[in-house]
Amino acid sequence: MRGRLDELRGPVPPRAHDARAIAALAANPGCARRAVLDAAGVDKDLTARHVGFPAPFGQSQFAITRGNVFEALVKENGCAELLRLLRELLGLPIAQVGYQDVESVGSHLRHSHTRALIDRAAREGDDAAAFYDHPLLSLRIAGQTSYLEPDVVAFQVGGRFHIVEIKSFAVIDGQAEPEKVAAAARQAAVYVLALRALLADLGHDPERVSHDVVLVCPENFANRPVATLVDVRRQLAVLRRQLDRMTRVDHLVEELPPGITFDLAPDAEGTPTRPAREVAGALRQVPARYAPDCLSACDMCMFCRDEARCGGSTDQLGRQVRDQLGGVSGVAEALALAEGAAEPAEGQEEIAQLLRLAHRLREESLG
Amino acid sequence: MDALERRIADLRAEVRRAVKAREHSLARSLRGELRRMEHEWDRAVGAEELPAPEPEAPLLPVREQVHQALALLGVPAAPKLIVAVNDAFFSRALRGSQFTSLRRDEERSFRSDPYARPYYLCAALTDRLSPARGLLAVSTWAPELRVLGPLSPRVDFLTSAVRVAEHLARLPEPPSGAVRLLTRMAQNIPGAAEGFAPADPVTAIRAARAELEVHRAADAAQRAEVAARAGRRLPDVERLFGAATLGALKEAAC
Repeated sequence: MRGRLDELRGPVPPRAHDARAIAALAANPGCARRAVLDAAGVDKDLTARHVGFPAPFGQSQFAITRGNVFEALVKENGCAELLRLLRELLGLPIAQVGYQDVESVGSHLRHSHTRALIDRAAREGDDAAAFYDHPLLSLRIAGQTSYLEPDVVAFQVGGRFHIVEIKSFAVIDGQAEPEKVAAAARQAAVYVLALRALLADLGHDPERVSHDVVLVCPENFANRPVATLVDVRRQLAVLRRQLDRMTRVDHLVEELPPGITFDLAPDAEGTPTRPAREVAGALRQVPARYAPDCLSACDMCMFCRDEARCGGSTDQLGRQVRDQLGGVSGVAEALALAEGAAEPAEGQEEIAQLLRLAHRLREESLG
Repeated sequence: MDALERRIADLRAEVRRAVKAREHSLARSLRGELRRMEHEWDRAVGAEELPAPEPEAPLLPVREQVHQALALLGVPAAPKLIVAVNDAFFSRALRGSQFTSLRRDEERSFRSDPYARPYYLCAALTDRLSPARGLLAVSTWAPELRVLGPLSPRVDFLTSAVRVAEHLARLPEPPSGAVRLLTRMAQNIPGAAEGFAPADPVTAIRAARAELEVHRAADAAQRAEVAARAGRRLPDVERLFGAATLGALKEAAC
C-alpha cells in the first residue's frame, strides 16, 4: 500500500499536512480525488498550477501581518489580555496564571517538551502551569506524522485542557462571519483531536480535552480582544470519520487503473517537466466531487470546477441545488426540462414542474 | 492669505505684460516683488500648520535608554514594553528595530572583557536555564529577578504595572502617553480600572498588589530554586546570557 502511494506521488518527499489542510479535508468528505492526493502526500498546489488551474487563494501578506500583530497583542506580557478574557469567560481562578513558553527550548525539542509539559500538567492537576505558548502537537495521518502548531495556547482549568484559537476577523455586535467561524472551528477541532491523541498516548483520559474551544477575536472596530466558546463536537465527528477514511484509502487506490501516477517529474530546480496534459489525464481518472465550497478550501478547485462545467454536472451548483435536482443527470437535461424541450421521464414530473415554473417566472421578470 | 494670493496673481500678469512689452528693468523689479510675495505666502502657510513636536535628539545611546526603562520597570521586560515605557516617560526615540542585535552585542562585549562595564543588558533565564525569548534584564539585578518560573510572567507584569503607576504618581503633570500605558495595563488587572476610563494610579497599585499577594510566595520559591540551580551549574557568562548548548541544557535540567 505504502509503495503504491509512493508511486502515485513520484520521487519527491510527501507533503506534510498542516491544520488548515486537515480541516479542509473535513469540508468535503465525499471527494475521492482529494482523499487519494492527500493520502499520497501530493503537492496539490504545484500540481494545480502545472495543469494550468492555479488556485485563487492564499493569504495576503497584509492579512498575515494583521493576524500576527493581533496574536502578539493577545499574548503579550504573559498572556495578560487572554487571562482577563478567560477569567471573565470561564471563571479562571486568580491563582492560576502559570505560563510556559514551549518555544524556549528550540525547535527540534519542542514536540518532546510539549509532551513532557502536558504529561506533567495532566498528572499534577491544577498546580501546574495554566498556559502553554507555542506548543507543537502531532497527528498521524495516513501513515505519516504531521506536526501541528496551534498558533495558540492550550490551557487547563478545573483539570480540563482547552484549545485557544486566536483569529483576527472582527466580531461586530456579537456577530462574526459564519464562514470564518466555521473555518476556525474546523481548524481548532484538528488541534483538539491532536491533543486528545497525545493524552491517550500518555495514558491519560483523552476526554480531559474540552470540546469547547475558546475563540479570541477583535471586538467591533477596535483592537480589543473578546473571547467566545465554540462547541466543535460536530467538526470533531466529521474529522474523525474523514481521517478514518483516509487510513482506509486502500480500496480507492485499488480501483485506480494500474500505472497511473501524479508524478510531475520535477527537474533539479523543482520545475515540473511532465507534460501537463498527461498529469491532467491522470487526475481525471480519479473521480472528484466538486462543490462551490471547494473554492475556499482546496488547491485543486479550479481544475475540478472546469471539469464539472464541461461535464455539465449539477454538482457545480452547490449541494442544495444538486440534491433538489436529484434524478436529473446534468445541467443540459435540467434546462431542456425547464424549457419544455424534453418530456419528463418517470419520476421526474415533480422536478420538471418546478423547473418550468422557475423558467416561466424568469421569462416574465426578464421579458 | 487670500489677499496675498490675489496680489501674486496680479504680479504674475504684470510680469507677463512687462516681458511682452520688452520693459526689462520693470520686469526685473516686478519679479523681485513677486518672489518676496511668494516667500511671504510660504511663511503664512507654514504658520498655520502646528509645529510638529519634535522628539529631542537622544543624547543617550540605545543601551542606556533601554537600561533607563528597565530600571523603571524593575523586572525583565519585552522590547515592546520597553519601547512603550520609553515613549511614555523618556526620550521617545527608541524603536523596536534597535533591539535586534542588542543582546548579542552585550554578550560579545562581556565575553571579550568580562565585567568591564558597570552593567550589561542580559537575558532572563527560563527554568531550563536557556535564555527566555525576547526578554531583557539587567546584569546587576539579583539572580532571582533574572530567572523565570511558570508564574513569573504574571508576577512581572503586575510588578511592572505597580512601578509604572508609582512613577506616574510622582510626576506633577503625568504625560498623557504614560496614563494611556497604565490604563492599558490596568485593564488586564482585576479591579484596577473601570471600562475605558483613564486608570487611577492609586487604585491600580492597590489592585495589582492584591493579585501579587496571591502569587508571590509560590513564585519566589520557584525563582529561588531556578536561580540556585543556575548559580551552581553555569559559568558567569551563561548565568547572564543563558545556556545555549544542548549539553548544558540537558545537564542543567536534570
